[in-house]
Amino acid sequence: MPDDSLTVFGIRHHGPGCARSLRAALEALAPDIVLVEGPPDAQSVLPLIMHEEMRPPVALLVYAPEHPRLAAYYPFTAFSPEWQALHYAFQQNIPARFMDLPQAVQLAGMLKPAPEEAAQEEPVDREPTGSVAVPAVPETAFIHVPGQVTPDPAAGDASSAAPQEDPIGFLAKIAGYDDRELWWEQQVEQRRDATDLFRAILEVMTALRNDAPPPEKEEAQREASMRQAIRVARKEGFQRIAVVCGAWHAPVLAELGPAKADSTLLSGLSRAAVTATWIPWTNSRLASRSGYGAGIESPGWYEHLWTQPEGAAARWITHAARLLRERDLDASSASVIEAVRLADALAALRNVPAPGLAELNEAILAVLCHGEKAPMALIRDRLEIGERLGEVPDETPSVPLQQDLAAWQRRLRLKPSAEAKVLDLDLRGETDRDRSRLLHRLQVLNVPWGVPRPHTGTASTFHELWQLQWQPEFAVGLIDAGLWGNTVEAAVTATIRHAAANATELPALTGLLDSAILAGLPGAVEHVLGAVQSKAALAADVRHLMDALPPLARVARYGDVRGTPVEHVIPVIDGLFERVVAGLASACASLDDDAAGGMVQSIANVQTSISLLQRADQLAEWQDALRDIIGRDMIHGLVRGWACRLLLEAGVLEDTELENLTRIALSPVNPAPQAASWVEGVLRGSGLLLLHQDGLWLALDRWLQELDGETFTAVLPLVRRSFSGFQPPERRQMGEKVVRLGGTSTRSRKQVIADDIEPRRAAAVLPVLARILGIALEDQEL
Amino acid sequence: MTTAFPTDPAALDAVQRRHAEQQFAEELAELARDDDKPRPPNWELSPWAVCTYLLGGTLANGFIISPKYIGNQRVIQGAVATLATDRALLLYGVPGTAKSWVSEHLAAAISGKSTLIIQGTAGTDESAIRYGWNYARLLAEGPSPAALVVSPMMFAMQQGKLCRIEELTRISAEVQDTLITILSEKTLPVPELNMEVQARKGFNVIATANSRDRGVNELSSALMRRFNTVVLPVPETFEQEVHIVEQRATALGRALELPAETPALEEIRRVVAVFRELREGLTSDGKTKLKSPSGTLSPAEAISVINSGMAMAAYYGDGALRADDLAAGLTGAIVKDPVQDLIVWKEYLQTVVKERQGWKDLYRACHEVL
Repeated sequence: MPDDSLTVFGIRHHGPGCARSLRAALEALAPDIVLVEGPPDAQSVLPLIMHEEMRPPVALLVYAPEHPRLAAYYPFTAFSPEWQALHYAFQQNIPARFMDLPQAVQLAGMLKPAPEEAAQEEPVDREPTGSVAVPAVPETAFIHVPGQVTPDPAAGDASSAAPQEDPIGFLAKIAGYDDRELWWEQQVEQRRDATDLFRAILEVMTALRNDAPPPEKEEAQREASMRQAIRVARKEGFQRIAVVCGAWHAPVLAELGPAKADSTLLSGLSRAAVTATWIPWTNSRLASRSGYGAGIESPGWYEHLWTQPEGAAARWITHAARLLRERDLDASSASVIEAVRLADALAALRNVPAPGLAELNEAILAVLCHGEKAPMALIRDRLEIGERLGEVPDETPSVPLQQDLAAWQRRLRLKPSAEAKVLDLDLRGETDRDRSRLLHRLQVLNVPWGVPRPHTGTASTFHELWQLQWQPEFAVGLIDAGLWGNTVEAAVTATIRHAAANATELPALTGLLDSAILAGLPGAVEHVLGAVQSKAALAADVRHLMDALPPLARVARYGDVRGTPVEHVIPVIDGLFERVVAGLASACASLDDDAAGGMVQSIANVQTSISLLQRADQLAEWQDALRDIIGRDMIHGLVRGWACRLLLEAGVLEDTELENLTRIALSPVNPAPQAASWVEGVLRGSGLLLLHQDGLWLALDRWLQELDGETFTAVLPLVRRSFSGFQPPERRQMGEKVVRLGGTSTRSRKQVIADDIEPRRAAAVLPVLARILGIALEDQEL
Repeated sequence: MTTAFPTDPAALDAVQRRHAEQQFAEELAELARDDDKPRPPNWELSPWAVCTYLLGGTLANGFIISPKYIGNQRVIQGAVATLATDRALLLYGVPGTAKSWVSEHLAAAISGKSTLIIQGTAGTDESAIRYGWNYARLLAEGPSPAALVVSPMMFAMQQGKLCRIEELTRISAEVQDTLITILSEKTLPVPELNMEVQARKGFNVIATANSRDRGVNELSSALMRRFNTVVLPVPETFEQEVHIVEQRATALGRALELPAETPALEEIRRVVAVFRELREGLTSDGKTKLKSPSGTLSPAEAISVINSGMAMAAYYGDGALRADDLAAGLTGAIVKDPVQDLIVWKEYLQTVVKERQGWKDLYRACHEVL
């Protein structure tokens, strides 16, 4: 060590052994200042870590208030060495400082390369956020890993990595381990005697760095910044400086070198305005399987090691056994004892001081799970990861929107949790209605805390099912949404208004209207309704008008459950409907096959809306419009057929009329493909019609029989497609019907044959036949 | 248990298949000499040395121990640790994944005796597990220890050795449950003689069970609780499987005095590839779905196909293993159900073997056999 006034502790990840060793080493050293690799921007919120309501896992969030999607997370757990270092400093009342390159600089660097994009991020020009289905994954936010040795958050593959990409993997390979985590766990995390641990880490890293190429620009800047922080501390007269940083950086911080080079490296860097705060984090976010590249495999296991260092194995297996019992799987205490013994024996066989996760898992698999892999998944999820959401104190700085949401969450008794659970809301109750509103509002803000789930079984219209799961990134989504307003209601209203102003298509607008009503925002509803009305007047595409109807109809029908004023919606629906009826015939003319398919869907949309609204005048008008379609030859067969079908179902088409229509549609003058599409339109989705309308059946039968071979081959796929959608029972009934109807035809054929028989000539054969059959021929029969 | 094992070399050579402790006597002796780690009571070797014996390795004096089990070493460590903690071991897996092989070598390394076997069948009765009577003596002299016929289990308990039970799940449930007292109380009462046999230290049971037999005679939960289950997987990688088949085929060829030269690696690769593809129902490039035949197509069967191929090559061919020599064995191994499997095999030949570069000879040979 170059001098006693500076001690560098190279650490890695969130590791309980590392944290414990660091804590002990700090207590032994008794420094007068602690410098930690972390963003100096967050200095102001540091004291909060001593707050009694602060419960890790939590993360430091540093973001640019102007562009909140530009943000960096620094996750911490109770067993993070940095957390322990900071804790120690605050307990001892000595200064603790972050010393990394400020995020103000790093985020400014991310802003710079695309100035146009940055301009687009101004609230006014932003993409509409009204579409509710988009998940709120911040595109530009990245996760910073404290104490991580790799410069790049994406962890390198241990087998191929060069030392600077994955020093731990490199060392593990030298030591003959395939698994870098395993090597580190055995070498560092499970070590009881930590004397000289950090000196050893420093030494080995120094050796590695001597062979590594010089760091890239950003890394060089960060290291320069850390050295500068150490120089400042020294200048201020601190005598025993403790530096906690990623193991990879340790060698270059232990030797400060000349200050000149560092200050040139750091001069002239632009800075963005940034804000720092704490947000709750989850264990599953720490686990590497969630795509957090350099995360830890088993946060639950590490936490267990941290809280229960003594007898960790026995307690772990007991936890596992209790978990299995909860799921009605046998796990006796005797088995627990055997599993602990097996884990111990395995550890001995592998020459490790105590059973690690691998040994425990194998023991649990062999003893408690009887070799079955399936229950192990449960243990992996519930114990190894140990899903949990951290908590931050109320005093944590937050944007007003977050505070408003927190107030709502308290009022509605909806506590955010990292575990997914299902919420069944009864919209007749006021609290549940408010909860539904809040969840819908958050959806508009792109914070999908709750995801609506489809009803199952007999759930009625006043029930709503939600799946709730809080994700740490929602904090960023909220800060982002905070630009729109200071309360949830204001922000949602502003978002919807903005989206409505920018929407170009009618269906998007009505979709917005739907979300505005679900979110219970009368102000926004009226605004969007106005937009719908003015758009509808100009809309050229009748299909857009048609597709816009169902959400409006739903509102008119169910609006009362949520207490939305219906009277505003009805005029809009009426206006749309009139335009649809007027334009339907021309919109249906000259469509190709694909467009006809789309039109059928749109007609179905209108039909659903009409039947929802249950207004006799509109129904009659609509049926007239459909009747108009079925008679026009220019219209695609599919659409005509579908219109026929709807009218038949409504009971306004007489049987005789249908027979006539069928005969006309299937008459030989029509091109066969058109006729086949007509059949498809009529039969769409259900064969019941064919079963009950003998006229249709016979006309179809005749048409098929009269097709010549070539045309038959051409239309066969179309006909097949019409029949493929039928239910198996329907098809069986059709088969039975063929037999029944076919029966009549054979009988009549027999009649025909009987007419042609000449009894005399037939009688001539009979004696020979009788002899062959060996029966006596009776004369009177002739 | 009075049969004398042949010990002189000439007699040993005449044996068709030697026991593990005979075949690898030298390795076991070297391991015992080199072994300075603590041994559980009545163990011939320490658990560490047992692992080395099974997984292979080089001793301090440079002596090379051949690997007996090729694959995940954690599996073997789990098995040895189970026996070291005095728990009964259940080796579980699809047929042909070296369950009996591992069991034999564990017994040989730990007890120096792999021959205390009870073969589980539907007809295995209690007397096979506990003890039987020499009825002539019983009638002549009345119940006496001399009239008792000692089972391998009882013998293992008396001597503090390992007893092996093959195909535990084929034994009917009532008979299985006689193991409960033996495993938990480590005693075998003989009420007729008013005595009991208490197991000496070092006694334990290794059972094997076939996952294809699941549901035949499921172990009762009371019995299951007394076993640690170690699942022996099918080989993870293609290379590993080729290695296993090659090593075993060569060794078997030697044991069976087949005069053929070492099996051609290329042919082994082809057999292993065919087996893997059919077993997984997917070609190795992952592009074509295949039907799987009803058989298990384990490495053990691949070994036997290679072996019969070597015999064919030696006796009817020119001594080198070729596609013609393999075709009959390959077809026999795959087509277990004459209707279904034949379709599977024909489809595979037509769609995969025929098209594959350099497999024309195999296609022709197999086609001739069909």
